[in-house]
Amino acid sequence: MRMVHVLTSLVGTNCELKVKNGMVYDGVFKTYSPECDLVLDAANIKSPGPSVGLRQEDLVDSIIFKASDVVVVHFRDVDFNYARKVSTDTDNFTDTAVGGRINGEHKEKDLEPWDGGRQQHMVSGSLESLDTDVSNGWDPNDMFKYNEEQYGIKSTYDSSLSTYTVALERDNSEEFLKREARAAQLAEEIEASSTYKSRVALENDERSEEEKYTAVVRGEREQHTLNREKYIPPGQRNREGMSWGPGRQNSPRLVQSSSGPPRPGLHDYTPSSGADQRVVNGGATSCPSPSSRYQSGPSPLPPRAATPTRPPSRPPSRPSRPPSHPSAHGSPAPISTIPSRRMSSEGPPRMSPKTQRTPRTHRVPPGSRVPPGVDFMPHNAPGEVPVPPATRSSSSGGTWSSVVSGAHRPRSPRQNSMGGASPGPSPQTGSTPVEPVNTPRSASSPTASPAPNMAAASSAEVKDSRVQATRQNSPTVNKENMKPLESPPSINRPLSKGPPSMAPDHRKQIDNLKKFSVDFRLQSSSNPDPQFQQMVTKPPQDTGEKSKQLPLDKGLEGSEGPVVPARSNKPDSPGAPSPSSTLCPAPEQNRGPDVTSQGVQTSAPNLSGGAKPEDKEEDEADQMRKSTLNPNAHEFKPRVFTPQPKPATTPTPPRPQGQPSPSIVMQQPQQVYFPQMYPLTPVSPGVQKSIIWKSPAMYHVQMPHMTLSQSKPYRTVPNMTQQRSDQHHPQGTPTMMHPAAGPPIVAQSPAYSAQYFTCSPQQFASQQLMPHYQSQAQHVFSPVIQGQARMMAPPTHGHPGQLVSSTSQYGEQTHTMYVSQGPMPQQYAHPNTTLHPQPSATPTGQSQQGVQHGGNHPAPSPVQQHQAAAAAQALHMGNQPQQQMYQALAPTPPSMTPGPNPQSPQGSFSSAQQAVYLHPQQMQHGYNPSHMAHMQQVSSTFRSPSLHSEYILYEQAHIQSGMVPSHHGNPGHPQMMLMATQQQGGPQPQLAQNALNPIPVSSTAHFSYLAHPQVQQHHQQQL
Amino acid sequence: MAAPGPGEYFSVGSHVSCLTCLGQQLQGEVVAFDYQSKMLTLKCAPSSGKANVSDVVLINLAYVSEVDIINDRTETPPPLASLNVSKLANRARSEKEDKLSQAYAISFGVSVEGQQLFQTIHKTIKDCKWQEKNIMVMDDVVISPPYQMENCKGKEGSALSHVRKIVEKHFRDVESQKSVQRPQAQQTQKDSTLSS
Repeated sequence: MRMVHVLTSLVGTNCELKVKNGMVYDGVFKTYSPECDLVLDAANIKSPGPSVGLRQEDLVDSIIFKASDVVVVHFRDVDFNYARKVSTDTDNFTDTAVGGRINGEHKEKDLEPWDGGRQQHMVSGSLESLDTDVSNGWDPNDMFKYNEEQYGIKSTYDSSLSTYTVALERDNSEEFLKREARAAQLAEEIEASSTYKSRVALENDERSEEEKYTAVVRGEREQHTLNREKYIPPGQRNREGMSWGPGRQNSPRLVQSSSGPPRPGLHDYTPSSGADQRVVNGGATSCPSPSSRYQSGPSPLPPRAATPTRPPSRPPSRPSRPPSHPSAHGSPAPISTIPSRRMSSEGPPRMSPKTQRTPRTHRVPPGSRVPPGVDFMPHNAPGEVPVPPATRSSSSGGTWSSVVSGAHRPRSPRQNSMGGASPGPSPQTGSTPVEPVNTPRSASSPTASPAPNMAAASSAEVKDSRVQATRQNSPTVNKENMKPLESPPSINRPLSKGPPSMAPDHRKQIDNLKKFSVDFRLQSSSNPDPQFQQMVTKPPQDTGEKSKQLPLDKGLEGSEGPVVPARSNKPDSPGAPSPSSTLCPAPEQNRGPDVTSQGVQTSAPNLSGGAKPEDKEEDEADQMRKSTLNPNAHEFKPRVFTPQPKPATTPTPPRPQGQPSPSIVMQQPQQVYFPQMYPLTPVSPGVQKSIIWKSPAMYHVQMPHMTLSQSKPYRTVPNMTQQRSDQHHPQGTPTMMHPAAGPPIVAQSPAYSAQYFTCSPQQFASQQLMPHYQSQAQHVFSPVIQGQARMMAPPTHGHPGQLVSSTSQYGEQTHTMYVSQGPMPQQYAHPNTTLHPQPSATPTGQSQQGVQHGGNHPAPSPVQQHQAAAAAQALHMGNQPQQQMYQALAPTPPSMTPGPNPQSPQGSFSSAQQAVYLHPQQMQHGYNPSHMAHMQQVSSTFRSPSLHSEYILYEQAHIQSGMVPSHHGNPGHPQMMLMATQQQGGPQPQLAQNALNPIPVSSTAHFSYLAHPQVQQHHQQQL
Repeated sequence: MAAPGPGEYFSVGSHVSCLTCLGQQLQGEVVAFDYQSKMLTLKCAPSSGKANVSDVVLINLAYVSEVDIINDRTETPPPLASLNVSKLANRARSEKEDKLSQAYAISFGVSVEGQQLFQTIHKTIKDCKWQEKNIMVMDDVVISPPYQMENCKGKEGSALSHVRKIVEKHFRDVESQKSVQRPQAQQTQKDSTLSS
């Protein structure tokens, strides 16, 4: 190493190299090899003589000497430090580096300490002076002096800089002192100014960059998140999200349609029943959707979100929501749980009752929706319940349901708000009978108020039962709840209405609801009308359609609105499975009618029954039947519009009836309402899903009314029953649903069922849808209803089977479903408002419906039983599979709704998607048959929910100029309403159906809408 | 030629005296020893007597008859300083060019004064070369024999005047200090250059 180092350091030096033969070469040492072979550049043979004669020729560019030939190499005057890297530049001035400068000598250079003192003195003082002296380097004067001494240069420097400025003349004159003081003052002011301080602070800010710019500041948002978490924790979010997300999102159409739509449908119904609901629901939905999104349920909301219409509707509704919520909440206030999520005011009040109811209703709807709903429900049930609510809440019911579910409560608030909104509307209606619907609502509201509480309690129970009790238990509870819900339907309506009336919040909500209701009324009224008309129409078909429907609707809606759904379900059961699905929508309408009818006719039973779960169930069944009637009412919808006004007057009476039974009835009614509500919801823009549903319901109703008023009603009734069964799960409604669903499934199920089945995996909704489809195939209306049921009704239909199964399996979920149903009831209550008009229009019809419902209920329960018991029916099969699926999923889900949802979600998603597709197909089918431009449009728009909704809205707008505007959130509903109205007004059955179909499509697009469309289409086809 | 026996080392810092096969007696401090090539490097007192410099002798022990270790040094040799290779390469190239240019000039029979002047100018202005017997500076100024100030020709300007100053300084230094003061002369030249 050292050799290498030395030789390297010698590179470039001249050297004399002696070789063995004595020759001496002189050259520049160029390089060397590892073997010490040396290379000399410009080498020449050094002659012994004088050094002068170096000639160019003598120089050899480079010579390589082998080490073995080299004897001695003499390097002269070598500076070893030449190439020494002034050690890294940095230690150039270290003592070592400095000392090392002594070339070659290994002795340490003696470093002498520097004494600047002397030198300093030489110039201008000592270092000390420098240290203390502020002057930088030489004092100018020293430099001047030095230059003058050394170079004779005389400086002209003037320290005063008189050349550049004017010297400040200091004196003691007052003038100067004043100015000096002034200057000091100004300086003080400047320094005291906030601006100065802030700027100084910027420079002197000790906060770290991270604090200033990067740190995550947790303020309200966190709280929100916390709140969300609160809401979400229930697992509802997840579940909802799961259920919704997977099911709805994936199969937005199906899921939404089935679950979401169904819920919406339910919601719609409730909303539809009360435009308020839409608004509220819409608000709730919108809020819920947000809330649900935010909190947990986002999934539900997302789905909704997926469905553009919903969101829009929601937003509009939102404004109203708050009020409505309050009102709803107010009445529900008990449900403080809801409030918890949202505002205490809204959450609890609004919806506790409503939520409970709505939840139930939602749940029920889910049941009817079964596929989606079921998923939701299951999901929700544990935590899903909220979800369904959320989804539904989007409509409103969902929120309610969510609210109902404790965890869901947070969301539920929104949902509650939704529900509350619906209630609010109802209250509004109730408070301000302004429209017929209102009156019904109001009527319902009274009951509702109690019912809400009841519902809340029931919902709570349901929740508990859901959570704790196995599905069956939960079902039972659910059933009870459901029953209550069903009875609530009437009650729900009352609830929705009632809640508003109930709580102070309700007043506000009511006011808002009133406003909304007014707006909605137009729409809702139209919607309700459609529904009611449908309902009524159905009843009318039975009895007198429009007139009857209106009265019925009014009466039914008012008191039985919720019941009506049940009735509708019943009709479904009678009619067929499809009816169940269709029934859901129909139920909605029917419900409205039924409600009215119930209110008038069945209402008493419902109420009485409502008081008792069983009775409620029965009522539900009755409602279902009635719902069937309601479908007829739908046709009357056009009339309903007129009727609505009428209902306002007349409805109230029914409601009062409903009111009595409200508490219990309310819950059931809720369920019923949900189905109905969904249909109605379509009408109410606010609740997208609900709107869709409603529209379907409307359509259904219309369809039934038009062509197969009775059969449709039946179908609707089945739906109702199913829904109710869903709501009530185990008992009547399920059975109802089963019958209805079962048959339809068997009949139509093939294709749809297959599709749905595929979808079904995701959720029962698909299955339900299938059944619905089947039912639809069998009966246009029933299909429609089923479709709705699937979409909206799925809850109802699905609920029947799904719910039942789901409930049994997913006790909690079912509960959730029920809860959702509860919301539905609320929605229904709203629907009632809307429906009310119809009911008022055709009280008789309602009464008939109510009767039908009563009949239906029994039937439904059987159906459910059948379904549950026998998988024989395709629907049942589908449902069962789905249910099984759910159950399978549910197992984990039950307690863990989310879990199931997740699981089911995937499945549900795919299924949901499929379901959605199916819906489209259904829609298409329906459309094709109907050959309705609307249908086509709808179908075209299917996948674009928003578009559908828009279409619907447009249609509605066209049909109902006033309606749409009023229900921002309810666009869908309005649309539905419009559609319904159109259908009703126009070719009533066919046209109405067509119109409805479009609407449904839109709804389906939203999910619920689509489903409805399909259902409607089917109905049309059938028709 | 006694080859160092196995294990026979020359520790760095030891003073060694050896006699080559050519009868040359060398003594110095061991700087390095390569066992494989039997090459021993000694640092000797500078023949020029200049301070801070030393002569280095590379001895092939294969051709050394006697090796006497005057005194052994067991101390750890100082760490090796890192070398600026590029600087060494530049030196090698510049030295070679100098030698070649010198040889070039010599080949044309340039007087010693001429060569000395060339060296002086070259130290200040690198851009100078022999053109025949004339010194071409910066391609502008030509200094022809006898290389006096008067012999500096070229375009009037700073370059010419500058070269003249160098030449003037050179001869003045040579006269005053003769051969010994070249470095100083150079420095003075530099100074003058700078001052000018």
